[in-house]
Amino acid sequence: MAFHLDRRHFLGLAGATASAAALAACGGPSTTGGGQSTSQATDIDFSGVKPAAKIDFWSSHPGQSQEVEKSLIEKFQAKNPGITVNLVTAGANYEEIAQKFQTAQAAKSGLPGVVVLSDVWWFRYYTNGSIIPVDGLTKQLGTKMDDFQQSLVNDYKYDGKQWALPYGRSTPLFYYNKDHFAAAGLPDRAPKTWDEFAEWAPKLKAASGAQYAYIYPALAGYAGWTLQNMLWGWGGGWSKEWDITCDSAESVAALQWAQDSIYKDKWAGVSSKEAADDFSAGLTSTTISSTGSLLGILKSAKFNVGVGFLPGGPKADTNVCPTGGAGLGIPSGITKEEQMAAGMFLDFVTQPESTAEFSAATGYMPTRKSADMTAVLAKTPQIKTAMDQLAVTKVQDNARVFLPGADQEMAKAAAKILTQQGDVKSTMTDLKNTLQGIYDRDVKPKLKA
Amino acid sequence: MTRQLAPQPSTKPNRPPGPAAKIPHRRWTARNRRDFFVFLAMALPNLVLIAVFTYRPLISNMYYSTLDWTLGSPSATVVGLANYVTFFGSNDAPKVLGTTAVFTVVTVGGSMLLGLLVALALNAKVRGTTFARSAVFAPYVLSGVGVGLVWLFIFDPGYGVLAWLLRGLGQQSPQWINDPQLSLVMVIIVYVWKNLGYCAVVYLAGLQSLPQDVMEAAALDGANGFRRFLSISLPLLSPTTFFLLITTMLSSLQAFDLIRIMTPLGTGTSTLIYEAYLQAFGAYNRAGYSAAISVVLFAILLVITVLQLRFVERKVHYS
Repeated sequence: MAFHLDRRHFLGLAGATASAAALAACGGPSTTGGGQSTSQATDIDFSGVKPAAKIDFWSSHPGQSQEVEKSLIEKFQAKNPGITVNLVTAGANYEEIAQKFQTAQAAKSGLPGVVVLSDVWWFRYYTNGSIIPVDGLTKQLGTKMDDFQQSLVNDYKYDGKQWALPYGRSTPLFYYNKDHFAAAGLPDRAPKTWDEFAEWAPKLKAASGAQYAYIYPALAGYAGWTLQNMLWGWGGGWSKEWDITCDSAESVAALQWAQDSIYKDKWAGVSSKEAADDFSAGLTSTTISSTGSLLGILKSAKFNVGVGFLPGGPKADTNVCPTGGAGLGIPSGITKEEQMAAGMFLDFVTQPESTAEFSAATGYMPTRKSADMTAVLAKTPQIKTAMDQLAVTKVQDNARVFLPGADQEMAKAAAKILTQQGDVKSTMTDLKNTLQGIYDRDVKPKLKA
Repeated sequence: MTRQLAPQPSTKPNRPPGPAAKIPHRRWTARNRRDFFVFLAMALPNLVLIAVFTYRPLISNMYYSTLDWTLGSPSATVVGLANYVTFFGSNDAPKVLGTTAVFTVVTVGGSMLLGLLVALALNAKVRGTTFARSAVFAPYVLSGVGVGLVWLFIFDPGYGVLAWLLRGLGQQSPQWINDPQLSLVMVIIVYVWKNLGYCAVVYLAGLQSLPQDVMEAAALDGANGFRRFLSISLPLLSPTTFFLLITTMLSSLQAFDLIRIMTPLGTGTSTLIYEAYLQAFGAYNRAGYSAAISVVLFAILLVITVLQLRFVERKVHYS
């Protein structure tokens, strides 16, 4: 087919191209600023600002918290009759809610007043300029910042500002089937170290009849989070500050031990979907899962459930437990009035009474030191273990919480090691290169000097 | 349905060579004008919709592919073709393109081959074929999300039906969900199961429209059933095969729902379209990079369609 480009066709084509280019440039990000922006770490003055009459609260209802969230909203509205909070299910998990939030940012519309943000997402919102520091609001509202559990509230500090407040915060817990332990003649406690558990595991597997003595949490469900326990126990980690150390001899030794527990010693497996469900169903005698799974496990398990601190390793037998879970932030792209109303709601749901109510309903940890947990602990004494473990937690590795997509890359590497029996050293070297690439490309240019 | 893809014979008269061949511009009469406005009234709303919802995103996406843009950020930097250079220079490209090729070839080949076999079985004049036809076609109209969730229960190595059956045989279930290679096999099996009904129904329609006199003549000449299928049915089904090849290949390259539900991290199953999704919305937030991958997918789809129309169609017997 021959195509003749005469003057008329040429002008038509040129017009269409120009229109297309103009059309494409409409919407989307601005390219005039010469670079991407981070949130401004300056105090916002809210004096004299009247709160908006209505805000949305985007939640993924961590720990099946929809009902308790409704209850907290009702109490807030009763106390503040001029403000309506609309609870929106904005996703089934942290990733889905992040997807919706970032899409709303890109569309520049439909943003909520308050959004649930996980440990691995808030920093990205900061680097994108999507959230405001809450210092101005907490100052004006008189929020007692020193009453927060410091290890939880400090997770959201950067550049001298507070970017979110802790909400559904958790640590991993060691869950064990007390009946299986009794049948195997083991003490009624969690193992102190993984080496101790390795001695118990064959007896446990033989006596319990369960498929596994221990099941590793599902790799798609934050493997990077729970594996920090082993990495730290062996003296390694995903990173030290901004140096990626996942290929260090210590890190490799930790993951080699994990691989051996599956392929050589054959007492461990890897969960396909949710380790807490596998444990409740009796598929395994022990596992590690979030404190947010505690009430669900206690409800569905047909056996006596024990909980304990995470086991240590040959190099460190304490401070081998990461914190995790969700906080609450306020978007930058809404009006000051909406931010004011959001700040008031944030202040209310983080009050000692509110956090105690949230904890009772979900198993998440109370975020305030003065929260009265007497009634909660009388009903669910296992929560005490999670609260006590808070004293021996460790701040998560930068590589996991600050590098976009690192959690996914860690899960892929873990899959290669734990389900394909891939070579640990070379897999970790590949992971290091990938994480270094993410840091150089997506994070380093946005860090404050 | 299959005939729509056949090239139409030209209805234009042969033009005489030389300057005399130039056709003078038609005069813009009142009737022409009226016809044109009627055409505009009919076509313009649709053209506007297509421009706004198909071409505008397509062109915007091409523009975004030239930006270093983090999803959610209000600003971005123009980087030209750097996103393309990064993609083709990274370890991702061979992995993603390889996964896409394996997924497409096996799902297209599997759906068409099994669809043809099922169609041959359904074409037999026996009782219960109407029910069997509905049963075979049913998965095609089911929601991919629902199908994915149900099959995840079947494949679950802990307490899935498959694991239960294997345990009965004294075998351990393979790690369908955690092992990246097996994850790809799992998604392919479900995709083929869901789509072979479509191929079967289209092939069945083709089989039922084959000329019976030719078949009877061949049978009288002593050709057995296999020979008749190979030498007569298969060549005469080539328009159907060609149609299915194009449509199933395009849908395989754009398969998303099953991959998203069954393997959310895309470990081992990250095809081009899923990688584009993961890069922008999964966790990496690289909107510009994701747009570049989408443009690569668009180019591949365009090239495959043009090649199929130009070369494969030559082998098709339309009558």
